[in-house]
Amino acid sequence: MAPNVSCFLLAVLISASCKVITSSDQMCIEKEANKTYNCENLGLSEIPDALPNTTEILEFSFNFLPTIQNRTFRRLINLTFLDLTRCQINWIHEDTFESHHQLGILVLTGNPLIFMAETSLNGPKSLKHLFLIQTGISSLEFIPVHNLVNLESLYLGSNHISSMKLPKDFPTRNLKVLDFQNNAIHYLSREDMNPLKQATNLSLNFNGNDIKGIEPGAFSSTVFQSLNFGGTFNLSVIFNGLWNSTTRSLWLGTFEDIDDQDLSSAMLEGLCEMSVESINLQKHHFSDFSSTTFRCFTRVQALDLTATHLEGLPSGIEGMNLLKKLVLNVNNFDQLCQINAANFPSLTHLYIKGNMKKLQLGAGCLEKLENLQKLDLSHNNIQTPDCCNLQLKNLQHLQILNLSYNELLGLQSQAFKECPRLELLDLAFTNLHVNTPQSPFQNLQLLRVLNLSHCLLDTSNQHLLAGLPDLWHLNLQGNSFQDGTIPKTNLFQTVGSLEILILSSCGLLSIDQQAFHSLGKMSHVDLSHNSLTSNSISALGHLKGLYLNLAANSIRIILPHLLPILSQQSTINLSHNPLECTCSNIHFLTWYKENLQKLEGLEETVCANPPALRGVKLSDVKLSCGITALGIFFLIVFSFLITILLIFAAKYLLRYKYQHI
Amino acid sequence: MKGFTAALLVWALISPSSGGGGGVGETWPTHVACRDGGLEVLYQSCDPLQDFGFSVEQCYKQLKPNLSIRFGIILREDINKLFLDVSLLTQGSSILNLSYPVCEEDFPRFSFCGRKKGEQIYYAGPLNNPRFDIPEGKYQVLLELYNENRSTVACANATVICS
Repeated sequence: MAPNVSCFLLAVLISASCKVITSSDQMCIEKEANKTYNCENLGLSEIPDALPNTTEILEFSFNFLPTIQNRTFRRLINLTFLDLTRCQINWIHEDTFESHHQLGILVLTGNPLIFMAETSLNGPKSLKHLFLIQTGISSLEFIPVHNLVNLESLYLGSNHISSMKLPKDFPTRNLKVLDFQNNAIHYLSREDMNPLKQATNLSLNFNGNDIKGIEPGAFSSTVFQSLNFGGTFNLSVIFNGLWNSTTRSLWLGTFEDIDDQDLSSAMLEGLCEMSVESINLQKHHFSDFSSTTFRCFTRVQALDLTATHLEGLPSGIEGMNLLKKLVLNVNNFDQLCQINAANFPSLTHLYIKGNMKKLQLGAGCLEKLENLQKLDLSHNNIQTPDCCNLQLKNLQHLQILNLSYNELLGLQSQAFKECPRLELLDLAFTNLHVNTPQSPFQNLQLLRVLNLSHCLLDTSNQHLLAGLPDLWHLNLQGNSFQDGTIPKTNLFQTVGSLEILILSSCGLLSIDQQAFHSLGKMSHVDLSHNSLTSNSISALGHLKGLYLNLAANSIRIILPHLLPILSQQSTINLSHNPLECTCSNIHFLTWYKENLQKLEGLEETVCANPPALRGVKLSDVKLSCGITALGIFFLIVFSFLITILLIFAAKYLLRYKYQHI
Repeated sequence: MKGFTAALLVWALISPSSGGGGGVGETWPTHVACRDGGLEVLYQSCDPLQDFGFSVEQCYKQLKPNLSIRFGIILREDINKLFLDVSLLTQGSSILNLSYPVCEEDFPRFSFCGRKKGEQIYYAGPLNNPRFDIPEGKYQVLLELYNENRSTVACANATVICS
């Protein structure tokens, strides 16, 4: 019976401790002392007493506050941000925020509001952002307008709003964002739009409303920052409705799950009668694509045709001289020449990313784009044995080139001779084939950032990085080194201006003491996720003030002669190493505690040995090694006593032995 | 041994987590996403905070392209960016891992992209999947939807039984 009782007791204890844990879970998380608190998902029905009066930012979503009133938040008069998302609020009574003069952002998303009192938002001196998303509002008259003079953004998405008629006296002068996403607005009248003429640089969002009609002239002679009519069934309604308007950014894309009409050239005629800088038509189908389709795009500077099922662009498109930025991501091109780049002579930014077919780069397909500065050709399954001079012919002004996530590129010496102004080159996750004495990046005088992560490079090629005098950031993550070692003579000897070097996940076992000798300017070295031991630290002896990441290596013991090297760095991460917490490592353990302010990832820096201390944070380890003064005193006394005892024993033995004589 | 069993039983009875109804550590019920033409798909939410609803129209061993699904959930995160991770296991060994961008800043594929924390979402529409024949067997599928901060939006442990 006895074991049963003890088991029962044990069970009670376990469940009791569970309760303690759950009740301690009810605490809000302090993100910044006395200022920022997160009380999400705690099922609270009031503000906890533990929150200090000085709280400024309070995340209180997913709690339970059916009624909020004057006394609910009274104590927290310094609130600047209050998130009450999904707190099941039905009522917001009079003067709820009366004393909250600093309140700038109020989030009421997802509350089943029945009524907001006339003075419920009075108090804040400058309430700037109000979120009333999915609160069941069917009329804008629901919102009390008395204290909204300073309002900059009003989010009214996912409600039952069918008319965007603002209440009389609704202040619009400071309004920058008015968001009506996913409502039931089908018609926009001149009367609706008139109050908004006071606002300057307004962004209006009608995404997911399916506008069926706009009164002619409703948008006329008004300047908008952005207009979003995403998912509208018939775009000609929009184009006609926007007659004589000015918009920086016009978003007219559609979605996977929306049925829409094919876009015809005739529909786009409306664009001739308005001024638009940037236009997005993602996911649309074009019914009759020809060189005249873009007849009215003459003033457009940025055009986004992501996933518009294009297999090419027609040649002879005229009047797109001003186009600066063209996005052709996720289309169906076979060859780069099919975009007929000569149509867009002013282009500075070109994005062709995630093509649905394997993209052939061809030869000189972009040679007419003399002003091109940024080119993104990532995620395209590009495979070419000899890259990239023929392919990137005449791109004299190219500064940023992204060829990451492609298949296989063979690079010869001076592979980027055609783009001598490159500053950033991203080749991550593209298999690069470089024969040994070749220097593919030679003469990229201005190159600052080079990402070669997971390129399956031959790192034994000492000339690989030759000719990069300005290289500042080099990422070699995920490449392997012969025998897991960086030898004394290596590929880094040519890149003396390097400040950031990433060598994580390179399977490294050791680094020669002289390996980084030519790299004197480094400020950030990432050697994480290798199998390095502490010996490799000596390769950093000549560097000071480093951010040094040694996480997830095989460092066990750090001997005293290496500690000065660590001391001269500014931040060090030693987490996830099998660190030894025994007296053989006492110097390092002492150093660790004295330099906690320099260390990163303290929570994950734990002992691996001895077994008794496995998993204990290094900062919590208390070891006493060697002999203390008190110990020495006792040792002396003890040995003294033993000596006396021995003398007496010997004396007694001798006497016993000789007494018979 | 008896004592241990008894203790377990007592613990199971009095511990707060298994009492049902809102306790921490509660597991959500297993739902049927579809049961049809030789295919059965069961799922269970592995987000400790909430359950969600999901069903597939027309489930056959030869999965049609662009399956219609229905999906209902409360968002606990903004979804300007949303990614789906799928890992497929059979008999404990992994046979497929893939990651798919559902919503990206420069390419919101679906109309629900960009919705805010706290919004309730109901999606009924196509899935944009390829045609796919499922070989006979029992599969474990772990699905996870997460945003740019790697915060979980939805998590499902699914079992697919194809006979």
